[in-house]
Amino acid sequence: MSCPRISDLYEYLDGGMSPQKVNNIEGHLRVCPRCRRAVEERRLIAAAASSLAPFDVPEDFPERVMSRLPGSQPRSRGWLAALAAGTSVLTLILVVMIASGKSGLEFMKGAGGTFWESIKTIALITAKAASFVSLVGRTLRTLLEAGVKGLSLLTSFVPPGAQVFILVVVLGVLATFFYGMRKKLSTGDQR
Amino acid sequence: MNEERDQNLVKRTLRGDKTAFEMIVRKYQHPLLNYLGRMVGQRETALDFTQEVFIKAYASLRSYKPRYKFSTWLFKIASNLVIDHWRKKKITALSLSEPLDREDDGLTLEVPDDEPSISHAFELGEMRRRIETAMEKLPVPLRELFIWRHVNELSYEEMAEIKNLPLGTVKNRVFQAKEMIRRLLENTA
Repeated sequence: MSCPRISDLYEYLDGGMSPQKVNNIEGHLRVCPRCRRAVEERRLIAAAASSLAPFDVPEDFPERVMSRLPGSQPRSRGWLAALAAGTSVLTLILVVMIASGKSGLEFMKGAGGTFWESIKTIALITAKAASFVSLVGRTLRTLLEAGVKGLSLLTSFVPPGAQVFILVVVLGVLATFFYGMRKKLSTGDQR
Repeated sequence: MNEERDQNLVKRTLRGDKTAFEMIVRKYQHPLLNYLGRMVGQRETALDFTQEVFIKAYASLRSYKPRYKFSTWLFKIASNLVIDHWRKKKITALSLSEPLDREDDGLTLEVPDDEPSISHAFELGEMRRRIETAMEKLPVPLRELFIWRHVNELSYEEMAEIKNLPLGTVKNRVFQAKEMIRRLLENTA
């Protein structure tokens, strides 16, 4: 076997080679003092690199980190979603009651005949509304996150001066557009 | 087992148990500082960065996906911080995008006849000191992989996951880094 490539020697030292290749390399090393020296050399350097002095961490480092954490950040906000869903359902019921012109009792009678039937109907509506609100929330969040990520990616490529210029141009275009629309839509005060 | 313990600490933190997060900080403060210290050069800056990694991790813990190893997720946050740091210093453009898998990396060659012995030129302490100096001269992407491999003892698979690179590319770059370190040592012998 001819002398192996340097990358093969590193792979051999890493221990990630197939047994067949290991046999070939070891067979070669037995007869080639130059490669044997090269392997030994790289083994010693790797050992030194793997035993470098660690950096000292101050004793109070964890406390320092903990004191800088935001108040109650990662806690789950499931209760907020539930509250939002509940409020939406109640609002929906109220709207239906007002639109039908019936009292709460009449509405319940009309909805199912018995009180428990009505409870069942309300529970069903609540569950559906909750899952709908949660779906809308998740979609909005994903869209917002994608928007923020896209924006931060764009801004990382554009120098600050150019960012200000682009912002001014965009605001100018928007202002012109809205002013034009307002003029077009206004009917009363034009003579 | 270790990973299971991390996942458990993450769950507890998400339930509002801050002591669980403190345990995460205690566990990863050394590995992160050893990586960041060698990437940015100054201990105080590295300490600030380490703090920043934990604060970012805490703030975005809900976006962490348990199918990834928690340690690799932390190192990914740290690596992004380092990239931002170098970008701000404007050193980067060259070193971060430099093509690294060139033909003349020396890895495709056989060992030359006249390769001098470095391991016999220095005693271990001196060798370590010279390796630290040589590391500073490596291009940033190679230095990062070299540190992860030798100081943090990450596997090639973990490094590939953090950097989102093919396994073969990561291995080749680590070998390149090792060979560059050896040559730098050779030049100072």
